[in-house]
Amino acid sequence: MYRYDEFDQKLVDERVAQFRGQVARRLSGELNEEEFKPLRLMNGLYLQLHAYMLRVAIPYGTLSSRQLKMLAHIARKYDKDYAHFTTRQNLQYNWPKLADVPDILADLATVEMHAIQTSGNCIRNVTSDHFAGAAADEVDDPRIWSEIIRQWSTFHPEFSYLPRKFKIAVTAAPKDRAAIKVHDIGIIIRRDPSGALAFDVYVGGGQGRTPLIGHLIGEGIAAADLLAYLEATMRVYNQYGRRDNLYKSRIKILVHQIGADEMRRQVAAEFAEVKQHGALALPQAEIDRINAYFLDPAFEKLAEEDLTAQRKTKAFAAWLDTNVAKHKAAGYAIVTVSLKPIGGIPGDANADQMDLVADLAQRLSFDEIRVSHEQNLVLAHVRQRDLFGLWQALDKANLATANYALITDIIACPGLDYCDLANARSINIAQALSQRFADLDRQRNIGELKLKISGCINACGHHHVGHIGILGVDKKGVEYYQISLGGSGAEDASVGEILGPAFGEADVPDAIEKLIDTYLAARQPGERFLDTYRRLGIQPFREKLYAAH
Amino acid sequence: MPQVLTANRLSDGEVVYLAPDGTWVEGIDAAQVVNDADAALATGQQAERDRKIVHAYLFDITPNHRPMKMREIIRAAGPTVRTDLGKQAR
Amino acid sequence: MPLIKDNAFVENTFAHVADEETLPEGAIVVSLKRFQAEREMLLARNTPLGLRLTSDQSPEALGPDVYHFAVIELEFPKFKDGRGYSWARQLRQRMGYKGELRAVGEVLRDQWLFMHRVGIDAFEVRPGTRIEDFRAAMAEQTVFYQPASDRVRNVLDLRHSRPARIAAE
Ligand code: HEM
Ligand code: SF4
Repeated sequence: MYRYDEFDQKLVDERVAQFRGQVARRLSGELNEEEFKPLRLMNGLYLQLHAYMLRVAIPYGTLSSRQLKMLAHIARKYDKDYAHFTTRQNLQYNWPKLADVPDILADLATVEMHAIQTSGNCIRNVTSDHFAGAAADEVDDPRIWSEIIRQWSTFHPEFSYLPRKFKIAVTAAPKDRAAIKVHDIGIIIRRDPSGALAFDVYVGGGQGRTPLIGHLIGEGIAAADLLAYLEATMRVYNQYGRRDNLYKSRIKILVHQIGADEMRRQVAAEFAEVKQHGALALPQAEIDRINAYFLDPAFEKLAEEDLTAQRKTKAFAAWLDTNVAKHKAAGYAIVTVSLKPIGGIPGDANADQMDLVADLAQRLSFDEIRVSHEQNLVLAHVRQRDLFGLWQALDKANLATANYALITDIIACPGLDYCDLANARSINIAQALSQRFADLDRQRNIGELKLKISGCINACGHHHVGHIGILGVDKKGVEYYQISLGGSGAEDASVGEILGPAFGEADVPDAIEKLIDTYLAARQPGERFLDTYRRLGIQPFREKLYAAH
Repeated sequence: MPQVLTANRLSDGEVVYLAPDGTWVEGIDAAQVVNDADAALATGQQAERDRKIVHAYLFDITPNHRPMKMREIIRAAGPTVRTDLGKQAR
Repeated sequence: MPLIKDNAFVENTFAHVADEETLPEGAIVVSLKRFQAEREMLLARNTPLGLRLTSDQSPEALGPDVYHFAVIELEFPKFKDGRGYSWARQLRQRMGYKGELRAVGEVLRDQWLFMHRVGIDAFEVRPGTRIEDFRAAMAEQTVFYQPASDRVRNVLDLRHSRPARIAAE
């Protein structure tokens, strides 16, 4: 994985010193809250319901064991022994003290981490495929390009006061595990007929209040021109994105209003100018330099392992079937460490669990951990022969729930239990549903089902792109939940359709159960919930759900 | 509707309430019931200038001194999904 | 408003003239609207001319007229309105503007360095600002990843031992 050189390190160290100064100016009264707020937000520090909240960047979701151990250490020393992994591959601490934050950032800097640009109207942490470098279906390691984008976007002097936040996601596989079409910019890397890398740039996707799917704006951009193309897109947005209305200020609204063709034309014109000046052309030496950090680890020459004997342990077999994915190297496997125990809080991990996963990664997965946008952890390079032992160790720490991509692998935002903007809680709903569908055989019979919950229309919990999405709303001070169906954040991206009137907290599990029963009764062989929904439309589900009401 | 003035403490973000003696306390039980909203908000603004707290505002309470809204119930107690954390755990 | 240029306070020798006001003697700054309406007359005057652009006015339409201005002021009505950063780069890199580029409006400490990087070289700052604050803010970051309009060698230049690249000229 990428390691800082002296320049990267100095930049982060200077930032820590700068923020230390800003906090001191705040505590001494030189800065008032209004002036301090944008500065703390630029360092990922929010004020939430109970306390401050610090968001730490995990660039494209990749961590070393040492980094994960530091995250655990910070949870113990400055927070309440746990942290929350988010859908943006970041980590959030829920209880830091303002006066401690400079020290936390200094500790992070010792392991090449920071909280830069995890908030504010700038280019946020770049996200990517959590199976990068291990997946059999990718054409290149998308993290090489994510790192190049990370550096270009860090403290970009022109794009730090954009109309609104800006999120970029990158994938290099036909199977989209990074939800790139619901990002401000989503990039798909492919190979053109000559074998060279070509970048397809989707612009104007997003969730929030106005969910939209991105449009293909730049097609087949050459590797050396990637930054020039991004700079051109950002400049068009910075100049012409709306600033009069917070809800209309994302790039998706600009694209929607002027149309994809006009956007394409404006970006192309700007791109031609930027390219002509040449300063942003990526030197091959830099591409090579970064590439070198993402070379395959020293995989052993192994045969595929026969695990028939171990499969006699039923729980292991179930885990193997759901949480273990095919690796590009023979004899290896990709393991999803579930942060979705039955009845647990999606994405939360305590310090001991973080330490354990860090140790396991060190011993069994080339020292590397991934955070997925589905709020799980991933050990990307595990020898198949180590799987059984790994499973035992994870199982003891409640990290081996065999539910990857099943109905209890729920994404949920913090909701009203933590979030200042929430209308309703979301974790409680996730817990109730997880318990209702706890039975593993039943989950597996239901098959792939992406259930996503947000506590308000900002959609941090991706509810618009859930096969089943749940949105918390407030009706005269009471929490209600609106259900939508048919969303997808994958390569077949779509925005879900709202079913009908919202349900009270206690009625949500029954409602979801009815939807599932409707699907099970109607599905054809091989169909996922989403497929059945797409074949039948919303009507049969609507009828079943509201018939009794 | 009776009200209480709340904020977050500047140094650590802790949820606090204005008490009758003008100090900021951590528990809602000791909070002052506000009679004069403007005066209370002015006290809050002064406390912000004095760098004690941030984001002072009023919220409604019931006649038996409990918050009306879920948001304030959760702020006064802690996360409903982690009853081992926050004020409820003390 | 105090004006900072080249790391020091300097006197503002340009007078702001409202659109309806009669023109005083000496150096003046006018709006784009007034410039467009009275272009010939303004260019015929023998005193330095400045232009103020609001944050929604692209300099692109000026074309070769940019060369007539001794000062161009970019207005930041709110520090969050970042359009001026893009206008500055357009002026410096694409249009080859070499005169003074001045940030006016809500121009706060934590924006100065980025403004400098995109080519702004004069800053109207809040009364009470100390020059030490300005110098300290400009020195808080010394490592830059991107080519911009300043002449600093960025990280790519340093890593690959090449001279600074300015995105134009
Ligand atoms: C707790 C503090 C948080 C605040 C104040 C917050 C705020 C927001 C807001 C205002 C939006 C809507 C932006 C728009 O529509 O323009 C948003 C979107 C989003 N947030 Fe959060 N969020 C928080 C936590 C999280 C967490 C915990 C996650 C991940 C689990 C997350 C991930 C996202 C994602 C994926 C989106 C949708 C994509 C987008 O429109 O940008 N956020 N957030
Ligand atoms: S969706 Fe709403 S409630 Fe949930 S984290 Fe985002 S802003 Fe908060």
